[in-house]
Amino acid sequence: MAEPFPDPIQMTLAIMTSPLFLKIAIFPGLTSIAIIAALLTWLDRKITARVQLRIGPQYVSPLGGILQSFADLIKLAFKELPLPEKADKFFFVMAPVFGMVLAGGLMGLIPFSHETLISNLEIGLPVFLAFVTLSPTLVLLAGWSANSKYPFIGGLRSLFQQTAYEIPLWLSAIGVVMLAGTFNLEKIVLAQSKGWFIVPQALGALLFLITSVAEQERIPFDLPEAEPEVIMGWQAEYTGFFFLAAQGAGFIKLYAFSALFATLYLGGYLGPGPLPPLFWSLLKTIGIVVAVILLRGTFGRVRIDQLLRAGWTILLGLALVNIVITYFIVVGFPTI
Amino acid sequence: MVAEGIPEIVYYLGFVTVSTIGLVVVLLLLISPKDPRPTPEKHAAFESGQIAAGRGRTRFIVQYYPYLLMFVVYDVVAMFLFAWAVNLRALGAPGTIPILVFMAVLLTPLAYALRLANKPENW
Amino acid sequence: MTEPAFLVLAAVTVIGSIMALEARDLVYGAVALGVAFLGMAGLFILLDASYVAAFQIAVYIGAVVILILFTVMLVGPAKGEAQMELKRVSLLAAVLVATLIGMGGALASAAAFPGSDVCGGSCDIQSLSRTLLIDYGTQLELLSLVLAAAVIGALTLAKAEKKT
Repeated sequence: MAEPFPDPIQMTLAIMTSPLFLKIAIFPGLTSIAIIAALLTWLDRKITARVQLRIGPQYVSPLGGILQSFADLIKLAFKELPLPEKADKFFFVMAPVFGMVLAGGLMGLIPFSHETLISNLEIGLPVFLAFVTLSPTLVLLAGWSANSKYPFIGGLRSLFQQTAYEIPLWLSAIGVVMLAGTFNLEKIVLAQSKGWFIVPQALGALLFLITSVAEQERIPFDLPEAEPEVIMGWQAEYTGFFFLAAQGAGFIKLYAFSALFATLYLGGYLGPGPLPPLFWSLLKTIGIVVAVILLRGTFGRVRIDQLLRAGWTILLGLALVNIVITYFIVVGFPTI
Repeated sequence: MVAEGIPEIVYYLGFVTVSTIGLVVVLLLLISPKDPRPTPEKHAAFESGQIAAGRGRTRFIVQYYPYLLMFVVYDVVAMFLFAWAVNLRALGAPGTIPILVFMAVLLTPLAYALRLANKPENW
Repeated sequence: MTEPAFLVLAAVTVIGSIMALEARDLVYGAVALGVAFLGMAGLFILLDASYVAAFQIAVYIGAVVILILFTVMLVGPAKGEAQMELKRVSLLAAVLVATLIGMGGALASAAAFPGSDVCGGSCDIQSLSRTLLIDYGTQLELLSLVLAAAVIGALTLAKAEKKT
């Protein structure tokens, strides 16, 4: 009780400069997520354009139009926000907002380096995957609330697609847990100091990459927002900031899933020499991002029945085979 | 006493939620322009230029409903497999045999389900 | 017991449950149920069972709520649905509430469950998996039968749909 009442200005300053607040607000938290998502949008457009023998954005700065997505961001923020009259306004607004919150929340679990890890959860991997399972609910609500045909079809497609690919996603990640013996993402990174898990987990890594692309709804699995079929699907009625939130959440997910792939299979922030761990983890993440973007430029879109059948038979079967293989690796080579 | 990392992730999610909702409120109230001459078309549902007809929530994809039911089951299974995988080395055979039986019981209906699903007449 | 985090989470759970029952639109009801589940996940975290909390989020919110939402959307808005008979419902509710209060009282006196805190301060994920797979292996197999029955039920539904 003898404690003097803290000065509010000093207290605010103390909070603002605490390492946790800096991590939450700047890196790997909010500010960096917004900037990186905008840069990934640019990278996506630029690489896809190169693959299709186009140039892509080029005017908004000397450096290959790198500021194009920031210009788009400002443009979208200043747009009028008309809501469809028959829409369920509450869910219509809340679904993309919470979709973005959820996608951003994933970044709180990724160990980019020991110093910039926001939350060192003992059960980091299941929590990441549990956050991912929430996203089809929001997409379904977004599609339902618009009370319009294309969004509703898109929302239902997304529901079936994401639920079909979640099980293989979880099962392919189990291989890493079996090798590392922990759910903690940083301990999984440290367990790879003798060798990256992509070597014993080649099949698991491939499955994880495929299923995570499906969870991000990117080509070749972008049926819920396919433009020629369902006119952007569940995003059809969104304009301005809400459209930005829906699209942005997709790019934040691309960033988060790529970072998780680097963490699980490519040794995360481990890397040689004087270069800092942060450099290695970001380099690996960007590498995976580029690979996923190249998929978009290369493949066509699958049909929904092909998609669901492949998810529930081939991918699920291979994920189970991967668990059996990993079991024999763990039992056969106890030193790994 | 809560586990390590829980307060941080709660603060982080809270901060992200508050700033995103704050941004939406600021945009809706201050930045987003108001239409000086509103037309009813602007607030109508988009149907490729046609006037919206009928109910919006039709065209229900219902034939994949069993997949959704299977998802509920195999989500639980995946969580149990995680609990087994995390302690694989220490558990040894006494822990692996129960999960083998568990998976055998659950994979039999799965195999049957997929046999049904792969028949083209069921699509 | 009355720490603020517990009070907030308990309030979220209770209000979510009430809204799930009282919501005029069933979609809102399903989402309110999800919010109640989220509050319960928070309660599990306070009980130092964070894996169970992740389980709660993934299975109950990620799978069960979405199944309810899909079904509600499929069936559409219920018009003129018959109200349940109030007297029987309130009797049942009274019995349930009395049971719950009794259980709460039993929990409050730690003597009622002497072995409830099995792992002491070392409630980690390793001991959870050991308890689940070795101590409760038989129960796990029974659970697998329940889950298998659910899959078979889903398949039966699908086949019946094809015939009609």
